[in-house]
Amino acid sequence: MKVSVKSRYSFGGGTHPPEKKDLTRESPIQAGPAVGEVAVMLSQHIGAVCRPLIRKGAAVQAGQKIGDCDAFVSAPVHSPMTGKVKQIALRSHAVLGRSLAIVVEALPHHPKRRPYFELGDDFDEEDYSVEQVCEAVREAGIAGMGGAGFPTRVKIEPNPQLPKETLIINGCECEPYITCDYRIMLEWTNQIIAGIKLARKASGCSRVLIGIEDNKPQAIEAMNAALSASAARENMKVVPVRTKYPQGGERQLIKAILKKNVPTGGIPPMIGVVVLNVATVAAIAEAVVCNVPLTHRVVTVTGEAIAKPGNYYVAIGTSVEDLLDFCGSVTQKSAKVVLGGPMMGIAIADLKTPVTKTTNAVTVLTKEQIGRAKFARRQTPCIRCGRCLQVCPENLNPTKIAHAVKNNLLDVAESYYMSACIECGCCSYVCPANIELTGYIKTGKIFKARQKQKMPP
Amino acid sequence: MLRDIRVSCSPHISGPLSTRRVMVDVIIGLVPAMVAAGYYFRVRAFILVATCVLSAAATEWLCNLIRKKSNSLGDFSAVVTGVILALSLPPSLPIWAAIIGSVFSIAIGKMVFGGLGANIFNPAMAGRTFLTVSFGALMTTWTVPATISVEMPRIAQENVYDFRTQATPLGWSKLAIKNKLGADIYTEGQFKATIIGEVGGCLGETSVIALLFGGFYLLIRRTISFHIPLAVLVSAFVFAAIAYRTDSYAYVQPFFHLTSGGLLLCAFFIATDPVTAPLTRKGMWLFGIGVGTITMLIRIVGEYPEGVMFSVLLMNAATPLIDRLFKKIPVGGKPKL
Repeated sequence: MKVSVKSRYSFGGGTHPPEKKDLTRESPIQAGPAVGEVAVMLSQHIGAVCRPLIRKGAAVQAGQKIGDCDAFVSAPVHSPMTGKVKQIALRSHAVLGRSLAIVVEALPHHPKRRPYFELGDDFDEEDYSVEQVCEAVREAGIAGMGGAGFPTRVKIEPNPQLPKETLIINGCECEPYITCDYRIMLEWTNQIIAGIKLARKASGCSRVLIGIEDNKPQAIEAMNAALSASAARENMKVVPVRTKYPQGGERQLIKAILKKNVPTGGIPPMIGVVVLNVATVAAIAEAVVCNVPLTHRVVTVTGEAIAKPGNYYVAIGTSVEDLLDFCGSVTQKSAKVVLGGPMMGIAIADLKTPVTKTTNAVTVLTKEQIGRAKFARRQTPCIRCGRCLQVCPENLNPTKIAHAVKNNLLDVAESYYMSACIECGCCSYVCPANIELTGYIKTGKIFKARQKQKMPP
Repeated sequence: MLRDIRVSCSPHISGPLSTRRVMVDVIIGLVPAMVAAGYYFRVRAFILVATCVLSAAATEWLCNLIRKKSNSLGDFSAVVTGVILALSLPPSLPIWAAIIGSVFSIAIGKMVFGGLGANIFNPAMAGRTFLTVSFGALMTTWTVPATISVEMPRIAQENVYDFRTQATPLGWSKLAIKNKLGADIYTEGQFKATIIGEVGGCLGETSVIALLFGGFYLLIRRTISFHIPLAVLVSAFVFAAIAYRTDSYAYVQPFFHLTSGGLLLCAFFIATDPVTAPLTRKGMWLFGIGVGTITMLIRIVGEYPEGVMFSVLLMNAATPLIDRLFKKIPVGGKPKL
């Protein structure tokens, strides 16, 4: 494949882990498994946890709202299929350990193949008012689908204190292995353009920049072609950015495209920017135009230890086990199942863990890869080589923070700006001494939060 | 079927680099210098390098045994220390002295601080300093390279002397300055000799070509960054140039300072020891400038002809302060509290 563009847009630091995207790059988005049971987590995003709106035994329709919350930073959850509520019980959660989920037993059904609609070029966002868009986004339960899962309505709705002028669409997908955003950009291009226009209208941004890493020339081409075919495309531009991990980080993408830094501890609206993932804007279009809630998402099931890697359109709430079985199961006795990519993903111990709105991939790593990874190799003392400082995209001093945390000196760790860490994992990746720098820093952040009593012990 | 599910914190993949690889790279970088040492000082070079490496490794093994720690020989850092120490010793040094130096390097220079990564001073330079202070005469006896066949003035009966000795280029220049003879007289012929290494001096420091080869290997492999070597060499050159311009009769040409003595060995292999050098780029600049300047101060103003060893140790001591001086600031600026 030719790499036609080499971009100069980038950020300082970062690293180049093997991309491994070839496993699923050419695999079109297919329908996911037809599961008999889904567990819809009541906590799928940053913000308040939803409370269930239905009781055990109640009948639910596909797309029915089953959990909601009055808090500002929150998003409702919906049942992906018609059936009956079997129970409301604890399920393993990738981040929270265990959390409440509504388990829906489905009537026999056929998995969804495609999003509900194919948008033509004649789509006009003027048909929808700002309030209409914001309300539809909120009611559809849309949260950032790139990883963190921040409720999208809070991001895009107009805020007089922090006026927004630039909308950045994140199509970088810098994590190794993952290709779901890439496939969405190729296959749902028009839908993305429609979603961008709706988000632009809602947020009041004057310009739109679509950042795509230059290792995806076809996606750049597809987006450019769709843009030039669509009406009202002024101030909308595709910006190829340099392929480097973590280019898809919000702060790194803003730095690369706008050459501006988001203040430490701040959020992008402080400098007038909103960043939305391509999958999120596709969901916005679906929600606003078809009034369909976010109940399915594209998940890349990949890794060397999986028989049939690919990109699947999966009901949110499907357990990882069902998903892996559908993909021909794991070919190895010993493996690591990671929700997300290998750099920032979370390894799960319970295969019953359900897919959430933020699960962009299930990566199954082989025993050999595990053996090469940090924890199987012996950690040796830090030789102060400084490689972690060079790769840190936030210009921190990972080794100092990690060693301060190791010695339980949280104040020292904070004096090296521990809380500014974005946990991208570059420092751990390059460390020749195999030190789990990112792990120490994450631990330190949790300790710090406990000290402030923001988090139960 | 999946039976054994592993978990750990992210990232789940890891780069190819290991501490051992870093150390092996340094050893590979030192190979040209070792070859040059073998060429000019023949079997003495081999004996000294082998002695230092073996006794350094044995000391590390013994220290780990005493400290009840797991064996750390696998990271090859003791080998690196042994090689660097050997290359900074005069060829005629008795084997017992080399063993003492190696033991001191590892046991006092490194292991008492807690082993690799915890030492404050460069272990090899600590060992060399110990030898210099303890056995001053042995450490300043310089053998003539085996490739030079000058008839030495016979001061004793034949077969009595062990080695033919001469002063190092820097020693010549120092003597010349002291005797007000004009330094240039002695240095002109020696400039070429220092490039290929046909001069008296420590085992590994004589050949500029060999050191540059090794240094560039490390730079290309990115085992070291260019900051410290460049800062050392440029600051030393500037200092020497200023001295030369003030009194060209009393001081040798600045280039001569770069090519002679241990400055290149120091710039590429000793000052760049990551454990004892600052972490940040700015810190590396300051560290390198400090090493270069102090070296030249000792060479030009001080009594010793060579000052690399002391300058590295002095700057090692300043490293924690330098790290504190140039603290990294997050890209988004300091957070507002």
